[in-house]
This record gives sequence, structure tokens and C-alpha cells, in this order.
Amino acid sequence: MTNLLHISPIYASLAVLLFPLAAFLYQALRGKQDQSGIVGLLAILLSTAASAFFVFFPIWQQAPVEASVSWFTVGKHTFSAGILLNNLTVLMQLLVCIIALPVHIYSRVYMKGDPGIHRYWMYLSLFCFAMLALCVANNLLLMYVFWELVGFASYLLIGFWFTKDAAVQANKKAFIVNRIGDIGFLIGIALVYAHMGTLNLSELFGKQSPLFEQIPLWHTERWMSYAGLAFFVGAMAKSAQFPLHVWLPDAMEGPTSVSSLIHAATMVAAGVFLLATVFPLFNESILLVIAIIGTITALTASYFALAQQDIKKVLAFSTISQLGFMVVAVGIGAWNAAIFHLVTHAFFKCLLFLCAGAIIHEMAHAIPAAAKVDPQDMRNMGGLRRFMPYTFILMVIASLALAGFPLTSGFLSKDSIIIAAFEWAVERGGAYLIIPVVLVVVSFLTAFYIGRMIFKVFFGKPKLWSDEKVTVFHEAPKGMLIPMAFLGLCSLFFVFSFNPISHQNAALMQGLTLLTGFQPIDSLHMFIPIVLITGSAIGWWLGYRWYVQGKYPFQENNAWVQHVQKQAYINEFYQLIIVRSTLYLSRGLYWFDHYIVDGLTNGAASVTRAIGRISAWIDRNLVDGLVNLVAQTSYYAGHLLRWVQNGRLQNYMGFAFTMVLFGILYLVLR
Amino acid sequence: MIPITHFLVVSACIFCIGLYAVISKRNAIMILVGIELMINAAILNLVAFGRYDKADYGGQVFALFAIVLAAAAVAVGLSIILMTYRKYKTINPDQITDLRD
Repeated sequence: MTNLLHISPIYASLAVLLFPLAAFLYQALRGKQDQSGIVGLLAILLSTAASAFFVFFPIWQQAPVEASVSWFTVGKHTFSAGILLNNLTVLMQLLVCIIALPVHIYSRVYMKGDPGIHRYWMYLSLFCFAMLALCVANNLLLMYVFWELVGFASYLLIGFWFTKDAAVQANKKAFIVNRIGDIGFLIGIALVYAHMGTLNLSELFGKQSPLFEQIPLWHTERWMSYAGLAFFVGAMAKSAQFPLHVWLPDAMEGPTSVSSLIHAATMVAAGVFLLATVFPLFNESILLVIAIIGTITALTASYFALAQQDIKKVLAFSTISQLGFMVVAVGIGAWNAAIFHLVTHAFFKCLLFLCAGAIIHEMAHAIPAAAKVDPQDMRNMGGLRRFMPYTFILMVIASLALAGFPLTSGFLSKDSIIIAAFEWAVERGGAYLIIPVVLVVVSFLTAFYIGRMIFKVFFGKPKLWSDEKVTVFHEAPKGMLIPMAFLGLCSLFFVFSFNPISHQNAALMQGLTLLTGFQPIDSLHMFIPIVLITGSAIGWWLGYRWYVQGKYPFQENNAWVQHVQKQAYINEFYQLIIVRSTLYLSRGLYWFDHYIVDGLTNGAASVTRAIGRISAWIDRNLVDGLVNLVAQTSYYAGHLLRWVQNGRLQNYMGFAFTMVLFGILYLVLR
Repeated sequence: MIPITHFLVVSACIFCIGLYAVISKRNAIMILVGIELMINAAILNLVAFGRYDKADYGGQVFALFAIVLAAAAVAVGLSIILMTYRKYKTINPDQITDLRD
């Protein structure tokens, strides 16, 4: 019996990613005939089971396992494609499965009746396949392939409602912004290959590698840090870091279940995962850049989230902000804390989005089609806790986790990052302290804006229904509530650590060991959580006062609020500077192409054509003319002589006599 | 005595008439008649020159010989015309153009 259950983790992992691929192919072949999505759901269920029992448990805390086959050969170098299973990759794969499973179940209810639902299942399976494969790829090139595939699936899903102009614009934007990052990734791959001669992860970062020992590679050191920077650019686009974050809020045009899976929990985490994978490449200065970018991202995103009116936009900005936290964690060298936060964040952010989806779902059903009211706008909500009590409870749990209240998973992971940041900064002193301080401020802002969302949506009085006994509005269906409840359970502390206030005992943190630690400062472990909790409580209290008790201090169209709501006009700035200048440049290039390059070609062509016409004339009229003249002449001569042979005896005789006559005349006149 | 020139002129005239008939007539009988005229013009020449051969009368003899030959030739010619008529249902030489290429 034990032998039967003993399946090689490599094959199990392969199966984990082949199930969704098979579901994708099946759905692609069946098309509209299969709208139930049962195949995709079954595939992800099998994947989750396989990933948990045959991959995660055998590998976790054990020696890494790797298997590969040769993929293709360029010159003397053979590239291999294979699977690398270590603590990080199996954790990531399991996480993707566990997040994808509730989202699939939820989608069955949420997307019911959509005319394009067969495409939805197809894309979702494709995404799952790509993401699961990205997690376990043992080769940077293979990883890049799936990285692109993930981006492509995301593009398809953002533009799922492709008849909506905003959705089309959003998926285009996401795709183009991600391209910038992909170029970074590609340059990084090229640099690594040029200097290391291999792209295999275990050869690059394994125990035999010089990188593992942190030995500086003297002749290539500078290039390796450029490679690190290039990888970071790749991660910046995928994980929506500050200058490239613009695509993520727009990506909320996709179905909410998709936002929940892709744009909150898994795909955007791929950038952080990449940073953790190539972590040994980063040197001190690159790490500092990463930490600074992460801090800026966390701060700006939480700032923008303060005044968003769209419920999904608030969540989108909170995602960006939390991704900033993870990137800071990588930047300060605590990539294990980053991964820990990635895991906990995946659960509560997914839950937040699913709750938001439930609310939007019910709003869209309750609002009469004729009334042109945006079901996602928080200004139209209010007092929903009476109608959707379970959703309310679950969303509050997720929000508390996001805000980092004790007893939630968010508390553990967020504190681990902030404490690590403080320890890191104290070790260096001076201006470095700005980073942890900013993170603390961001935590307060996070608490405030998520509190604002809860209060605006669930408290107060319904805005659109004056009668409080309305029956149109009711709790989300069971098919949506069950996956939400599961995620809610996973947002609590005991899933990760039995000690609700100490992140160090979390099983995940012990599985991902750092090479270099910080000088632990014990007092911080007491002090920081207290500060954070106090700050968050103040944030919630402020939110309660402003939004529930109606003591809102600002005017409706306050310039500052407007500025925040418009995301500091970054989109407009990009539109003006980058998009417009690109358009002008391409128009100029088009002009050059059309008039100079094509003009030259066309000029040469018309000259050739004219010469051709002249030589054709000469050919037709002179050369052919001569030949034809000879031919015509002989033809007429023949025609003339033919008349003599007319078969008439008398004519012949006449000719004969005429000739005789000529003979006589000749003889006479001689 | 009539000089020989007169004979020759008459003979030439008859020959030309015969030649004309042979070339231009649309009836084979008339062509045969033209041929007879031409033979007779030749015979006339033989007789006329025969005057200078008083000893043997060679010219007279040849004339008689030629007349017999002409009679035989007419018989042959008429039979040819008859056969031609049977074959082509016409004796107009213009309509018999089998010699054409």
C-alpha cells in the first residue's frame, strides 16, 4: 500500500501542471459545447491533491530534487528543460493550487450565464498551467517562457469582456507595460548566460556555484549586478512596482474572480518569486535600489488607495502596496519574510477580492438594468452588513489580516517584514531608518483605507434603497460562500504558526532559511507590534468617525482628494510624455518610411518601368518590325505567285505563248 | 504569180486566230477548232514552201500526211472531250481546274 502511494515527486509535479493543460486543451477543443467548467475544476482539484500529497509533503524540509531532459542544442551548449523541486518552488506551486481551487469553485457561480464562459474556463486553465509551470521550472529560459505565457493569459483574462472599450484598453496597457519588464528579464537571462554559461537554476545558485558562497566574481561582478538589475526590472513590471504599477489598477476591468486569482494572489507574486529565486545575484547596491523602489511603491499605492471610489481599485492599490512590502523584504535581504508575506497575502487578498466580487454580483443583480449605476462604486453601497452577514464577517477577517491585526496571518508576516527592516536599518543606521519608518506609516494608511472600505460598504444606510426591508438584496450563494469561508480560515494565524504573535515559529519561515541573518533586536519584537496595532486601531477609529458617523472633514471636490483619486496623475503623465511621444516618433518614422524609404524604392521602380517601356517599344516596333517585314514580303510574294498555279489550261498555255513570244522578241532584238 | 509573202501572212493570220481561239474560248470544241486552224496554218505554210521543191513534191506530201494526222488528232481530241464531259459534266476548261496545286 505504501508503495502504491509512493509516486516520484517529479512526476507528481509534472502531473500537477499537466492537469490544467489538459483541461485547457479539452476546453479549447469543445468550445461552446462545454460551459460548465467542470473539467477545469476537476483538473485543479487533482492538481491540488497531487501538489499537496505527492509534491509538497515529500519535498518540504528535504533535499531538493531535480530532473531534466535536454531541450535543444545551440552550438555546443545544450539547454535542458526540467523541474526543480525545493522548499521555495513546492511552496509556490502548492500556493497557486490552493488559491486557484476556491477561485474555480467560486467562478462556477460568479460567472454563471456569461455568454463567453467557455473562453473563461479555457483561459483560467491556461493561466493555471503557466503559473504552476513557472513555479517549478529549473531553467531561467523555461521560466521566461512561462512568464510570458502567464502574462498572455492575464492579457486574455483582463480583456475577457472585450466588447467593453475600457477592458480592451486595460489589457493592452497591461500587456505593453509587462513587455518593458519582459525585456528586463530577457536582458538578465542574456547577461547571466554570457557570464555563467548556464541558465540552470541549480547550477547557477546551487552549492557548487560561486554565487552560493557570495564570492565576488571579480571579472564579471559589474555585469552580474547589471543582470540583477535587469531581473529586478522584470519583477517590477510583473509585480507592479512603482513606475510600472499603472497596469494593475486598470487590470480590474477583468472578471473579479480573475482579479482575485491573478492580479492579487498569484501572478503578481511571480515577480517576488523571481526575486527570491535569483536572490544571490543581487549585491548591496542593487538590494538597496530594490528596497527603495519597494518602499516608494508601498507608500504611493497606499496613498492612492485612500480616495478611490471603486471597491476593486482600492483592493488593487492595496495589492500594489503589499507587493511593495514584499519587495522591500527582498531588498533588505529577508526574502524568506517576502515569501511568507506572499503566502499569507495570497489568502487574504484573494478573499478580499472574492468578497468584493460577491458584493458586486449582488449589487449588479439588485440594481435595475435601466438605472445606470456603477455596481462597483462604493458611494452606491452602504449598510450591506444586514443583507450579507457572512460576506461581512469574512471581509472583516480579510481586512483585519491586511491591516495586520493580531490573530491574523497578516500580522505575522507584516511584522516579520517590518521588524526585519528595522533590524536591517539599525545595523546600518542613519538615513536607512527612513525605510522602516515609511513602512510603519504605510501600515497605518493601509489600516485606514481598508477600514474606510469596510465602513463605506457595510455600515451606514443603503444609498440606493430607501426602504430598509428590500428583498432584492440577499446573501451570496453557497457556491461562493464556501470557497470564501475556506480562504477566511486560511487568513487566521493558526494555519501558519501556533503562536499568534511570533512569526519566527511559523513553519514557513523555518523552511526558508537565510544565509545571512541580522542581529536580532529583541526589544523590537515587543515594541513594533504595539506601535502597529495602535496605529491601525487609530486608523480604523478615524475611518469609523469619518464614514459611519458622518464627520467627514473634507469637501467633496477637495483638490487633495482629487489628486489622490486620480493617482497623482501618473497615468496622464505617461499618456502625455511616453505614449504621445512614442506616437509622434512612430508617425515620424512612418513618414520617413513612407516618403524616403518607400519613395526611393518607388522612384527606382518607376525609372525601371520607364526604361522597360522604352525597350518594349523598341522590341515591338524595330526588332519585331524587321522580322515581320521580311515575313510579310515573302508571304505576299508567295501569294502573288500562287495565283499562277490556278489549274486552268488556257492560262498555262497563255503563259507558255507569252514566254515563247518573249523568247522570239529576245532573238529578234538581240 | 502570188508571192510567197501573201501565203505567209494569211498563214500567220490563221495561226493567230487559232491561237486566240485556243486561249480564250470557253468551249473545248471551239479550242479543238482553234487547234485545227493552227494545223491548217502550218499545212498552208508547207504547201506554200512546197512550191520551191518541184522535183519531189515533198511539201505536198507532208501536207497530205499532216491532214491525215490532224484528222486522227481531232478524233482523239473529240474522244477526250467526250470523256471529260462524262467526268465533269462540263466542257468549259475554266471550270476544270484539277491541275491546280
